[in-house]
Amino acid sequence: MRRLLFRRTLFGLFTLWVVSLVVFLATQALPGDAAQAILGREATPERLAALREQLNLGGSLPEQYFGWLGQLLSFNLGTSLAGGTPVVSAVGPMLLNSSILMLCAAVIAIPLAIGIGTWTALRKDSAVDHVTGIITLVLASLPEFVVGVLLVLLLATGVFHLFPAVFVLVPGEQVWSNPAQLVLPVLTLVLAVSPYIIRIMRATMLEVLESQYVQQARLKGLPERTVVLRHALPNAIGPVAQVIALQLAWLIGGVVIVEFLFRFPGVGFQLIDAVTNRDLPVVQALVIVIAIFYVAVNLLADVVTLAANPKVRTAS
Amino acid sequence: MSIGMSTRPAGNSARAGRTPRKQGLLRRALQSKRTVVGLVLTLAVLTVAFLGPYLAPHSATEFVAAPFSPAGIGGPFGTDNLGRDVLSRFLAGGQTLMILAIIATALGVGLGALVGVLAAYRRGWLDELLMRAGDVALAFPQIVLALLFLSIIGPELWLLVLMVGFGHLPRVARVVRGAALSVVERDFVKAAESVGIPRWRIMIGEIVPNISSTLAVEFGLRLTYSIGLVAGLSFLGLGMQPPAADWGLMINENRIALTISPWSVALPVIAIALLTVGTNLVTDGLAKASIGSDKGVTV
Amino acid sequence: MTAHRRHKSSHLITALALGSLMALSACSSGASAVQAGADSVSDPKPGGNLRVGIVGGSAKDSLDAHAPVTHPDQARVIQLYDTLASYDNEHKIQMALADSITPSADATTWTVHLRDGLKFSDGRPLTAEDVIFTFRRITDPASPQSGASALSTLNRDALKATDSQTVVFSFNAPNSTFPDTAAQYSLGIVPADYDPKKPIGAGPFMMETFTAGQQSVFVKNPHYWQAGQPLVDKVTIIDFPDDTARVNALLGGQVDAIDQLPLGQVNVVKANPAMKVLESATGSWLPFTMRVDQEPFNDPKVRQAFRLIVDRQQMVDQVLGGHGTVGNDMYSPLDPCYPSDTPQRTQDIEKAKQLLAEAGKSSLTVDLVTSPVAAGLVEAAQVFAQQAKAAGVTVNVKKVDPGEFYGDQYLQWTFAQDFWFTRDYLSQASNSGFAKSPYNETHWADQEWTELVTRAQATTDSETRCGLIKKAQQIEFERGGNIIWGFPNSVDAYSAAVQGLTPDKSGIPLTSFGFRNAWLNK
Repeated sequence: MRRLLFRRTLFGLFTLWVVSLVVFLATQALPGDAAQAILGREATPERLAALREQLNLGGSLPEQYFGWLGQLLSFNLGTSLAGGTPVVSAVGPMLLNSSILMLCAAVIAIPLAIGIGTWTALRKDSAVDHVTGIITLVLASLPEFVVGVLLVLLLATGVFHLFPAVFVLVPGEQVWSNPAQLVLPVLTLVLAVSPYIIRIMRATMLEVLESQYVQQARLKGLPERTVVLRHALPNAIGPVAQVIALQLAWLIGGVVIVEFLFRFPGVGFQLIDAVTNRDLPVVQALVIVIAIFYVAVNLLADVVTLAANPKVRTAS
Repeated sequence: MSIGMSTRPAGNSARAGRTPRKQGLLRRALQSKRTVVGLVLTLAVLTVAFLGPYLAPHSATEFVAAPFSPAGIGGPFGTDNLGRDVLSRFLAGGQTLMILAIIATALGVGLGALVGVLAAYRRGWLDELLMRAGDVALAFPQIVLALLFLSIIGPELWLLVLMVGFGHLPRVARVVRGAALSVVERDFVKAAESVGIPRWRIMIGEIVPNISSTLAVEFGLRLTYSIGLVAGLSFLGLGMQPPAADWGLMINENRIALTISPWSVALPVIAIALLTVGTNLVTDGLAKASIGSDKGVTV
Repeated sequence: MTAHRRHKSSHLITALALGSLMALSACSSGASAVQAGADSVSDPKPGGNLRVGIVGGSAKDSLDAHAPVTHPDQARVIQLYDTLASYDNEHKIQMALADSITPSADATTWTVHLRDGLKFSDGRPLTAEDVIFTFRRITDPASPQSGASALSTLNRDALKATDSQTVVFSFNAPNSTFPDTAAQYSLGIVPADYDPKKPIGAGPFMMETFTAGQQSVFVKNPHYWQAGQPLVDKVTIIDFPDDTARVNALLGGQVDAIDQLPLGQVNVVKANPAMKVLESATGSWLPFTMRVDQEPFNDPKVRQAFRLIVDRQQMVDQVLGGHGTVGNDMYSPLDPCYPSDTPQRTQDIEKAKQLLAEAGKSSLTVDLVTSPVAAGLVEAAQVFAQQAKAAGVTVNVKKVDPGEFYGDQYLQWTFAQDFWFTRDYLSQASNSGFAKSPYNETHWADQEWTELVTRAQATTDSETRCGLIKKAQQIEFERGGNIIWGFPNSVDAYSAAVQGLTPDKSGIPLTSFGFRNAWLNK
């Protein structure tokens, strides 16, 4: 098992390297000139030349790439071309904000989904089960921005006026300072990730409930509550954990469009802003950060799967 | 590594690779009320999207009243950010989205199927190479990659289709490979090989028809994603460009006036929602029918 | 408004035009202005923190007195630094740090005399040497700042202080508009040891904190030269790149005032009794720019045809929701020399078709490059494309993001757009009219025009100068490269608790970011 994990980690690193290559080549091909884009209409030839020199936009591509990769590995993500501030300090707070958003969504979605999944499994073929089945199927179909806009129409502007439709972060405050603003983005993400977990949880739980040891526990005369909580649930969580981890990985992709919709100051929003500003170092850093997160969560999913699978566990 | 994420539970079971006869698949799926509802929704939205442009009372770019007029002024659903009729723009704005989503899906599923079947049939280093490459591609959120390239090269529709299509490729290839693995071992493939039929003909003539239900389910699943992605990228301003009428773009252009002219956002959002729900219900029905389970039929 | 009419009685027609223009805006802002008068307390209350949300801003933000780029930059620069002269709300030049700016007879030498007892925000005296440093910094050939183009004829080595309060400016050519230049907000006076990281100035406020792309906090400058100003203790300027977020911050009470209220929100804000809309007619313009040296626009007939295609009233109605006035293909409508007697050009599709046919350009197809760099640009491009259909012209709207718009191709686009705030004619001309101007989008290099405007620049007699300007305007009207379809009103919004913000013609939002006059009634 350890060898398998080692191979997975190596593969993850290889993936990140490929991503770095793609990102670098892609961003170098951005139309327009970073110095021009920064100065905008204030650009004069003299000011342009001065800025280009300051930004080190010269050099051959491989030179720029290896220099950049070296800096990346030493966690020196460079200086934002636009702001002149270190990229780390520009990306850092956004990463924190996005993490909070995703954490809120995960903390609500996971227990909720496991609960609903278990509950519907126990009431298989009841009306509740069917209704939940339809609702999760419908929610799973909807693109996240559609869920978001529908929530805004329903809860912010159209029918009810309960929560703000966009996120306004007054500088100096933290994203959690005004929790009402967090409701809609978090709810959108919860509705986007829960259906999958609910469906997997229900299916897994059904399988576990049919299994021999659960039957035996029942035959022993244990109360149904104990059977479910002590015997069935722990055995069902293993396979579901992988889906949960994968959903978390999905979150960071989905968070881009949700952040844009609600104007939430996170990595996704910043990515779109940086691309508009031609801020290459920030674009590169953000994409790499997203890739690292993605690879790490996927790796976690592998670990969980391996740990939950006795065959693999004992094979090593 | 990312199987569970990209594939719904229903799709999961379809990968078991059983191969019921094609003509029976849709009919069996339609025994479930859900599938019928899904098909009706899908066809209804498709009808609006494709016939809409001919039914629109005004041109999609004609000015009929002051910008952001409320419902009833300028048209039954008011006007948009430039004073154009919301209803007319809604009716005209679905067609491109549908076409783009369908082309992207066909591209992704077609190429994905080819790669998947090739990997399953040839096995060995080619299989390993293709699947590892797929793993790398999967280690990256599709929307971020699309965002990156669309902003670099510009919001070109062909690029949009390529990004969405290629995003599906590794996911489809993985599923198809799984389904095809069991087929390549079967006697008729061996028989065909022994009489010297070229490999590409075996792949297309023998293997592909035997995984058609998997392909049908994959197509439905990927179509649902494609619609969401294409509309989402349009919403980010990277799809159709003004002054075109497009559902994603409409949401983007008009959401500033959500409180005074909500229909310009609500109509396209509801249409996209109904469409994706419809295609997903059909896909779910197909998936259940393809594994011969009667679970889906009872509702 | 009435005072304004009396003041301008010698230019009756202009005044009437302006009057109707103001009446138009009064429909929307008049009510709130009256209301503001009714519930305003007679004595301004000092103190408090005025929080303002301003469009734009990003990590590019700077505090450099001479390099403001974005709206938040402008807002900050105006708080931190004062200029020698400044514009009042009627766009008339008033003295500021200087108490006189006088020309020599031939306008090649200008003598600036500073007020008594001026001090920078750190308490040091503001002297002639600081003024000289400021103008040398702006015109530094190694790193010219944004105000340098208007000072291209300044002999920077000959800048001379005759005493601690008097500076003599010498120009290589006559420059009749120096006071106008000196009133530009990007020419703030800074101390001789100026460092943008330690932004010392003589403006009403001084910096407390500044975070690029987010917010900056300014506190009252105790040494400010205007007695009794500023009224508030603090001004917090918050960047809001997003329209929806900015309006929501106002409605949610997170800010007290915002600039550039989006069209879609005007009625939402008006319906709210706790909010007020501040609408001002301005001389800002959003031209379509046709390059006069490129096919197909090198033929004046094509340019005239395109100008005849535009339904100006429809532009104002659809793009600005009626919040603006129609234009007549000439800029600087607030300039006293604006030829308002020129007949208004209106849509004439038949004539346009005929001109295009004469030019051999029937069924023409052109790309119109647009970008959301200012409110209304992308919308105007779409409306124009629609109007052009009637004349058989296909206009492909090519929307690019701001980075690309201002990228390598900026000022090279054949057919594009741009935006300008209110400027008087000669000042605008030096920015965009001469072959050597920094922002000559249309590549305008008309011999006759150049001679006229050069002469006007050297003419100190205002009557004669006006005559020359009118002729130059006529040339632009007949064959210029700009399609100037209208002048958008500036529409801002603020909480009813904010007092002292008044309509202003500069086009610069929120009374030219005049927060020194504002106070909070809460």
